[in-house]
Amino acid sequence: MVAVGILPKDIAIYAVPVVTLMLGLLIGYLAQRSGYCSIGGFRDFYLFRHTRLLSGYITLILASFAGYLLFWFIIPSAMEGFLWANTNGLFTAIPGAPGGLSPAAYFLFAIIPGLFIGLICVYLGGCPIRQTVMASEGNYKAAWFFVGMCIGSIIFAAWVSGAVVVLMKLIGFGV
Amino acid sequence: MYTHMSDQSGSEHTGQSHRDWMRHPAFLGALIGILAAFTQALLISAGGPVAYGFCVACHTRDLVNGLTNIVAGTHLALAPISANAVLPVMSIVGVLIGGYIAAKKSKEHKIRKGTNLEYAIYFLAGVIVLQLAMIFGGCPYRAALRTGYGDLSALAFIISMAAGVIVGAYIMLKWAEREEA
Repeated sequence: MVAVGILPKDIAIYAVPVVTLMLGLLIGYLAQRSGYCSIGGFRDFYLFRHTRLLSGYITLILASFAGYLLFWFIIPSAMEGFLWANTNGLFTAIPGAPGGLSPAAYFLFAIIPGLFIGLICVYLGGCPIRQTVMASEGNYKAAWFFVGMCIGSIIFAAWVSGAVVVLMKLIGFGV
Repeated sequence: MYTHMSDQSGSEHTGQSHRDWMRHPAFLGALIGILAAFTQALLISAGGPVAYGFCVACHTRDLVNGLTNIVAGTHLALAPISANAVLPVMSIVGVLIGGYIAAKKSKEHKIRKGTNLEYAIYFLAGVIVLQLAMIFGGCPYRAALRTGYGDLSALAFIISMAAGVIVGAYIMLKWAEREEA
């Protein structure tokens, strides 16, 4: 089934870079003003019981649910598989993930990266968006983090994505 | 050390102004959530995946790999929405420009340099964080969007990430105490 949105495909392929650029500009501007950070939210709450940044992240989860729910009522064809766990089963992968692995593998794919992203980013002092915003504020360390993400995306596509699937099948998570 | 850490996360932004609500993280959280859903409703015809409105790691991957594919003629993997569109998603370019404009306007733009070792650590961390985020299929932001979409594995990611943050913050607290002692 092909999902159908508000714009027809011929227009949407031109609208993608424009709309996402506008969205990015708005998010970047407000993220700089507010110091928005997901890792920082959990860290500040744990260390100082500050809820300011954490409220931003919790609001994001709730607002995205509200937003998807709203547009699911307005234009159901665009919200394919909404309420994912209910429509597609517990812990199944969202499209785009490599196929041929058992649900347990996708669960491991969630918790192991989560733990290490938490550990690494709290050491760096910010999650990926905070690093990107700090890079635009003139922080050279954060700029190197961003360069690392850019090089990392080529490394991932070229080698790591295939290697991870082969490894998981090797240790018995294939279907 | 703690003041330095909270400086970086911007917790010091508690100054009074007539547009204080705009500077509250919860406002941005609500905005990203609603706009991500709207973006999907608007653009999903160009291709999936779902719950892809905003993601720092995935959109960086799409931008870099998409432009590399166009310039160098390679076939690096990227999301269908970026592969089908004339140009890949541009939200990261927007974040960089938007952050720069905001920093310039509020006179917070300041060159902060580090040592070569720090640059190497941050570069390596960037590479590793991207691999981890791609294995999961999203950064903390897409995890939130996926949770909002009803994906329980994304909720497991968030809980696990919170655990990682607590362990990491605890270790850094111990390091700091040892330095002071």
